[in-house]
Amino acid sequence: MRCSLCLFLAALFGAQIICAQNKQLLYDFYEIPQSLMVNPGVKTMEKWHVGIPMLSGLAFQAGTSGVTVNDLFADDGVDFTTKVREHLIQGMRKRDDFSTTSQIEGFNIGFRGENRPENYYSFGMYGETDIIVYWPKDLAALAFEGNGGSNIGRSFDLGDLSLRGEMVNVLHFGINRKVSNTLTIGGRAKIYSGIFQFQSINNSGSFRTSQGQNNIYTTSVTADMQLQTSGVEEIVNILDEDTGTTQKDLASLFIKRVLFGGNLGLGFDAGFTYQLNPRTTITGSILDVGFIHNSKDLKNYTLSGNVNNEGISVFLPEDIPNLNNNLWEDLVDEIEEAIPYEENEKGYISFRPVKAYGSIRYNFGEGSTFNENCGCGVNAQSGGQNDAFYRNSLGGQLFLMKRPRGVQAAVTGFFQKRLGRGFAFKTTYTADKYSLTNIGLGLNFQMGPVNFYVLGDNLLGYQNIANSHYASLQFGFNIISWNDN
Amino acid sequence: MRRLFFQPALVAITLFLCLSCSDKQDFNQFDDLEITPTVASSIFYLEADETHINDIGSFANFYSQTVDFEAFNEKYVSERLLEGKLIYEIENTTSKTLNFTIEFLDEEGDILDVQVFDVDPTPSPLLILEVFYGPGDKNIDILTNTTSLRINGSNQSDSTSVSGLSEPKVRFKSAAEFIFRLK
Repeated sequence: MRCSLCLFLAALFGAQIICAQNKQLLYDFYEIPQSLMVNPGVKTMEKWHVGIPMLSGLAFQAGTSGVTVNDLFADDGVDFTTKVREHLIQGMRKRDDFSTTSQIEGFNIGFRGENRPENYYSFGMYGETDIIVYWPKDLAALAFEGNGGSNIGRSFDLGDLSLRGEMVNVLHFGINRKVSNTLTIGGRAKIYSGIFQFQSINNSGSFRTSQGQNNIYTTSVTADMQLQTSGVEEIVNILDEDTGTTQKDLASLFIKRVLFGGNLGLGFDAGFTYQLNPRTTITGSILDVGFIHNSKDLKNYTLSGNVNNEGISVFLPEDIPNLNNNLWEDLVDEIEEAIPYEENEKGYISFRPVKAYGSIRYNFGEGSTFNENCGCGVNAQSGGQNDAFYRNSLGGQLFLMKRPRGVQAAVTGFFQKRLGRGFAFKTTYTADKYSLTNIGLGLNFQMGPVNFYVLGDNLLGYQNIANSHYASLQFGFNIISWNDN
Repeated sequence: MRRLFFQPALVAITLFLCLSCSDKQDFNQFDDLEITPTVASSIFYLEADETHINDIGSFANFYSQTVDFEAFNEKYVSERLLEGKLIYEIENTTSKTLNFTIEFLDEEGDILDVQVFDVDPTPSPLLILEVFYGPGDKNIDILTNTTSLRINGSNQSDSTSVSGLSEPKVRFKSAAEFIFRLK
């Protein structure tokens, strides 16, 4: 029970964002049909595949690049406020974040072309939720410590507020083509239907209290901040209603938006696999190059302007005509006018988080018969002409992802082994700026036409899951046909 | 088929779960979290030059005003105010002996507290006074019940003397620095 709770919390607090959408285990694991979703140009071996609806691809990843559950909630007798101060307020950096990503495939189908067997077509639908909240370091310090005491003179950066989240349903169609014996390319078109989206990015401004020019302190605020939301207001309204039909109303709204009644967008993926020689292969892909035009159920909040305040100020004799007893109210009005908080319903475009992969693979070990039994004639080559001939692969991968605060990267080394057609595993070691101990393991089982895979990341973290920065689990079932028999 | 399907799945997932362990966690600790920032802000600034004070006359109020002041009286603030101080600084470069009085008034206009400052003529040092509120000091309720301030500045000397300094004036400064309990 304790482990389950911790697993859940680790899923909430778990991963570094650099890994939050990095599917390094799935990437180029071409025995698994879902590898097409991270590289539409991956080598395809099967004749056709059908994912088990709702079970063909489930992925859950979450985490934090800074504090862990254990840092805060370990039953160690240390005062909780002290732990928050040390691990959050002082320990976290503005580039640290909390993030969560989940993906559930509705369906996923692929088939080889009858007349053009070099083409492998795939299509499907999946839902994805992706939320990232950067640690608002200065705002947290302002809330925790205040602007007084030792913080007099400190400038708090309002730009530290940066967050983004969305839930989208994606309908996709992809073509994978073997261009030659050495080159496979692929592309995938995507239609996005936004269920909700929110973002507060590119904020700027500062809050500073310092020695005043006239009075004891002067407080200066400069702000250019915005929170954009689409699809949120209606959900909040339903939750606020006390009608007893909340669940039904939410389900109805959710279904409507899943079925392309939400904010719509377009995007594409592209990728390739190129065999440098029978033992060496390079791959690359770029995913989610796209956008959503948010035009429905909008509510945006802005705070923009600048103001200096030294309290109520009276200069005599100049202010004699202006003296009244509403000076405090006038001051508050003046501040609100100088830095107004406003709401609007303007449409906006949100860009999908673009991801890119690259890899190099070196194959070795004695040949297998896997390929010879494959009905996918186009990819069936004899002996060492095809990298599926080899039992073992060793290689490296690079992952890049566009995030609100720039591109984040991860480097992975991997070893993959195939034991006949029935079993293959891939183990990875991933290094990034946050962690040097991320070891993952992926298992792929093929039992007749039934395919099952499970991919778990950061296995060392499971020794004390509450102290893990990263937790990730992907698994799924497919039916695969390799030949006509 | 079911065996083919679920056995490896169960084995693999169980393996992950079985391998996972955790130190003991206590999530009720969150209730113990205390967020008590120190908030600082200027409150009131009054500046009067010597000419104006002389123009008003001797032994007379050169400034007298009741101003609404609900900074501490706001419900959100008053419920969270723990302790702190009001800081006063008076700089006088005039030739006058001056007096300042601040009366803290509640909604009915009753006086909750009075702060009096006697200021010597120049040359006089910067007058600094810190008044503490909270446990062991003045009652914090004085501030949370204050809805207005009655401020008086009066000349306690003649109306003819002139300071030898350039641009002689009196500057009355005030600020607050208080600790709030946000959680």
